[in-house]
Amino acid sequence: MRSELEAPLFAGLPDEELRQLLRPVDLQAGEVLFRQGEEADGLYVVAGGSVGVYSRLPGGGEVQLAVLGAAQVVGELALVDGGMRTATVRALEPTAALFFGRADFLALASRLDPTAFALKRRLAAIVCDRLRGRLEALSGSLDEHDAAPEVSTEALVPAPVPNEGYLVRLQFFRAFPPLQLPRLLAACRTLEIPAYRALLRAGARSDMAYVTLNGAVEEVLGWGRRRIRVRLAGPGHAVGYVGLLDGGPSPVTVATRERALLLAIPAATFAELFDGATALSYAFVEAVQRDLITAFRQAERPQARLAAAQQARRGGRSSGTSASVTSRNERANSRKR
Amino acid sequence: MCRVVGYLGRPIALTSILYATDSSLVRQAYSPRMMATFLNLAGFGMAAWDSSSVSPDEPFTYKVTTLPVFDRNLRSLADKIAPSCLLAHVRGVTYSGDEVISQQNLHPFRYHDTKVSLAHNGHLREFPRMKYDLIAHVRPDLARRVEGTTDSEWIYVLLLSQLQDPFGLPDVAELADATIATLAIVRDVRASNRIDTSSPANLFVSTGRCLVATRFSYDYGWYPDDDHLLETDLPYVSLWYTLGNDYVERDGEWIMAGDGPPHSLMIASEPLTTDTSRWLEAPEYSILTASLDDDLLTTEIADLEI
Repeated sequence: MRSELEAPLFAGLPDEELRQLLRPVDLQAGEVLFRQGEEADGLYVVAGGSVGVYSRLPGGGEVQLAVLGAAQVVGELALVDGGMRTATVRALEPTAALFFGRADFLALASRLDPTAFALKRRLAAIVCDRLRGRLEALSGSLDEHDAAPEVSTEALVPAPVPNEGYLVRLQFFRAFPPLQLPRLLAACRTLEIPAYRALLRAGARSDMAYVTLNGAVEEVLGWGRRRIRVRLAGPGHAVGYVGLLDGGPSPVTVATRERALLLAIPAATFAELFDGATALSYAFVEAVQRDLITAFRQAERPQARLAAAQQARRGGRSSGTSASVTSRNERANSRKR
Repeated sequence: MCRVVGYLGRPIALTSILYATDSSLVRQAYSPRMMATFLNLAGFGMAAWDSSSVSPDEPFTYKVTTLPVFDRNLRSLADKIAPSCLLAHVRGVTYSGDEVISQQNLHPFRYHDTKVSLAHNGHLREFPRMKYDLIAHVRPDLARRVEGTTDSEWIYVLLLSQLQDPFGLPDVAELADATIATLAIVRDVRASNRIDTSSPANLFVSTGRCLVATRFSYDYGWYPDDDHLLETDLPYVSLWYTLGNDYVERDGEWIMAGDGPPHSLMIASEPLTTDTSRWLEAPEYSILTASLDDDLLTTEIADLEI
């Protein structure tokens, strides 16, 4: 098991602890590791061989999303949020894998074990990498599009924070114990912003992450008539942080869709909270990781619509139900505020 | 909130929509999967068009305030009818003595001499404050016919009033334009009354030959301080669809089966199966249109900026 433990997910973590947590699994070619729609119970690390990742299509059949080989992780979303498997994974050849169960992971996390938080940060990095890859693939499906508008800080108006009784009912803040939430709020700013204002352009470096408190913010690929919305972040969801996690430029343009009340987290504060070893940092990592998985799942939606539209086209006719949005905009825009 | 199913395509056994699946519309009355803290116990209604019946542009209509799961008449009908178009709705209201449970308040709305039916999943907050300002945008002969107490029936007469002929048979483009115009009027009336809290307006509109559905909310993400159903209101109201030829059970799972170009479309507030992998989620702020001509289904999804 020595070489498998050197997978990036586990690098530097105590061998003895890992040996107790991981269970070897062997698959024949064509054998299913897990099926889409099944209850998720943990992740797998491919130790040798390779697996294919497949998503079902509405009219029957499936589409291959990825091929994963040695040291790569599959089924990682399950470790954090459980829920249903979002894809089917099958061995493409005789394959060995290591299983890491969600129950063991939750037991580690409940003890505030440093191993759990090291794993959480690495899982966040893996999901972040997959999300960026997914967004780039979707972006490649776009034709020419308009340039996103310039970001204007004039529209950002300081505003009071809503009461904590409201905030703790929102997903992002559920991870924070009562004493930690005021500390988070004190390290950030609250801003009220009109609808349809750009906060971050695709390709730019992010200097701020935002958590929606009221209203809604969208993350889009492209702009104008040819654009794909990959995320709508309503109350309790965050935007603009992918570049803060991986150091790259923003893969999306971030803009308010409704007038919005946002918690703005400066980049330096974000880094300090995400990399720290305090109770506040642990809560912050948990909140970001859950939000990242929500973002990843939302980004699957336009990809699924795109695959279904391609399936329809292969049948000889096109359907207008593709990933991007088009013509009705013109009609609607003539009436918008 | 409510749950709605719209269907357009090849004739489909009604029972496969209402009863057969593990999250069928009838089950969604008492066990919805995508609504926190809320059930849909205030009645059932449907309009089902069967092109082989007498007067094919006239749907079978059925409305009852009792729970559909206990309704033997409905089950018997569902075993016999195979419509090519359907709007079906289970009504959910707040648990309050102020609510009016009556046939007049059941969806889909359709006046006997009109060709358009409408069902609504959502609610317009502070509707009593804005209701009388809507009258200016409704034809008087239609305003006089409002029988119920719902915001949804007012949306219906408002939409009819945006058609060139409220008693005619609009095509899908005119129906979509009327739907957008209706949402825009409601937006303006809300603004003039300073109403600015979240109000979902997922509309399902049909003539039996075409289908228009919206996934839309006014002022999404803003809630009144005393919102006792905040957990229900926080998510954007859902809308899902699946495309194919025939809705069938295959190898133990219900799918819209068929290779090649789709001939049938099902749109629902939430999938009819607990496994959602054979369904697609409609984008927020979108309008979905579908029309059927000689077994040829044309569909489109577009962004909706109201």
